[in-house]
Amino acid sequence: MTVRHQPMIDEWYPVALASQLPPGGRATQLMGTPVLVVADDPIRVVTDDGRDLPVTLRYGHVWTSLGQPAKQLFDIPEADQPGRRLIEVGVVRVRCSPLRAVENFLDIAHFPFVHTDILGAEPHTEVGKYDVEIREKEDEVWATKVQFYQPQAAKSATGGITTDYMYRVPAPTSSVLYKTCPARPGEWDVITLFVQPLQEDLCDVWPWMALFDDETATTDLIHFQQMIFLQDRSILENQIPRLLPLDPGREIPTRADLTSVAYRRWLKRHQFTYGAQLVAQ
Amino acid sequence: MPAARERLTIRGRLGADSFLPWVMRHAARLGLAGDIRHADAGRVDIDLRGPVDLIDAMEMGCLLGPIDVWVETIDRTPSSSI
Amino acid sequence: MPVEMLRDWIPVALSADLPAATVLPAHTPSGILALWRSASGKLTALADRCPHRGMRLSYGFVRGEALSCIYHGWSYGQTGQCLRIPAHPELAPPGAIKAASYAVEERNGVIWIAFEPPEAPPPSLEGFQPVRSITVNMDAGAITPNGTVRTQLAGVDVLLIVAGIGDRETIAHVMVDAAASATDRIAVSNAVEGWRRTCEQLGLKELAS
Repeated sequence: MTVRHQPMIDEWYPVALASQLPPGGRATQLMGTPVLVVADDPIRVVTDDGRDLPVTLRYGHVWTSLGQPAKQLFDIPEADQPGRRLIEVGVVRVRCSPLRAVENFLDIAHFPFVHTDILGAEPHTEVGKYDVEIREKEDEVWATKVQFYQPQAAKSATGGITTDYMYRVPAPTSSVLYKTCPARPGEWDVITLFVQPLQEDLCDVWPWMALFDDETATTDLIHFQQMIFLQDRSILENQIPRLLPLDPGREIPTRADLTSVAYRRWLKRHQFTYGAQLVAQ
Repeated sequence: MPAARERLTIRGRLGADSFLPWVMRHAARLGLAGDIRHADAGRVDIDLRGPVDLIDAMEMGCLLGPIDVWVETIDRTPSSSI
Repeated sequence: MPVEMLRDWIPVALSADLPAATVLPAHTPSGILALWRSASGKLTALADRCPHRGMRLSYGFVRGEALSCIYHGWSYGQTGQCLRIPAHPELAPPGAIKAASYAVEERNGVIWIAFEPPEAPPPSLEGFQPVRSITVNMDAGAITPNGTVRTQLAGVDVLLIVAGIGDRETIAHVMVDAAASATDRIAVSNAVEGWRRTCEQLGLKELAS
């Protein structure tokens, strides 16, 4: 790994689901470095040369770092809220940059086209103005006042609603989405994408949710989220270039892409460049 | 969509040689006519005329810019004198 | 058929494989293009990359006379010009926003594209009718030096038009006499798989030697 990527080395990344760790452990890799998630008590993560890496168990996942994280893993208070169902969706491998996977998760303009009649539908394609900021204290990207009309926004919804959204990027390859909760107006449903960067153009994506929904079977909740993500995967594996351009180069971002632009700026400022293209080609 | 006339005031660490040609190339990619009114290592003013959605897109692109430039803020002011 | 013509024009697909209102990826030695036919039947070949965020246009959908990108629905007309950006429905996209377009012609059931403005139309291949296309894991140059193969398959005279589409990969468009019967066409269609295997085995032998 080159010095260029040093800032990303000191971050936390998901490498396994604690509840699904086989007795022999899980052999995987993190930014090109092989690691083994060992099913000891407590769970350990070790490198090929026997080095123990830092480990955190949170949101059902095993998190580790190749370096020395300056702070604890980001907090999602909704995870501890009574009455919420915590859903582990399971890993999906995607042949794309880990940064592209996050950028796609932050985007809503694709709902009517990629998730047709589920998260969006023509002619409701207009993306209104919304707010984006980098919250300096937490050092996170936040998009708020995002709205989109959806025919069937969640398993617990009957009929179409205008859904409110907030997006949050608390780490270079993790994103949290807050959306209107049909079962409990006033609360937010929480859906996350925790992305494990395997290589600059290969990642394991670990979706996770914290929902208020007393009706829907867990398998249906999981299948719904998997279906949405598999639709996104066919996009992610067919974007040119594979790496995320930090210089828009030949791309044309519009106002609807404001969250993506803020994410790329935040990556650029922190020199989080693993999976990024620096010079436009 | 009627044409708007706005001045984008771009501030940051803009001193790289790459920035001004980059800005003009991105404006051309959007079909926007633009004139650079001021340029130094900390601030670039560009006057743009065109549909407001395209001026929004120009702001999006310029918030990123080339890798060796850091744009801190972009202020927009309507201009009747463009 | 003169070699010079084949140098400008690349045979990418059969007309029968691109019905109205469909798009497919057209493989060429210089990369993939988004080849599509509008609802009224007009052909367009565009660079396989949406200028918005780089999604392959060959994964899009054709509606009426336009091709839409599957990611955010940006739609393009027959010269590659962007016609609509659904997230900003009030915006008339400027002419500057476009996907590069290339010359495309259809003759006698074969679709050809050219990267540089061509001086002459593509070969007419009169007297022939297309049967099917097939990809072969072999360099086009190792199959034939001049882009065509004349042979017999299942006792039927066959003309194969070949074009390299990548590292050791070639597409071959199989043609028979215009007067050939349906039975002959089916026999050729089946027999060409054996022809492919023979090519690939010869290719492997060459690699091994």
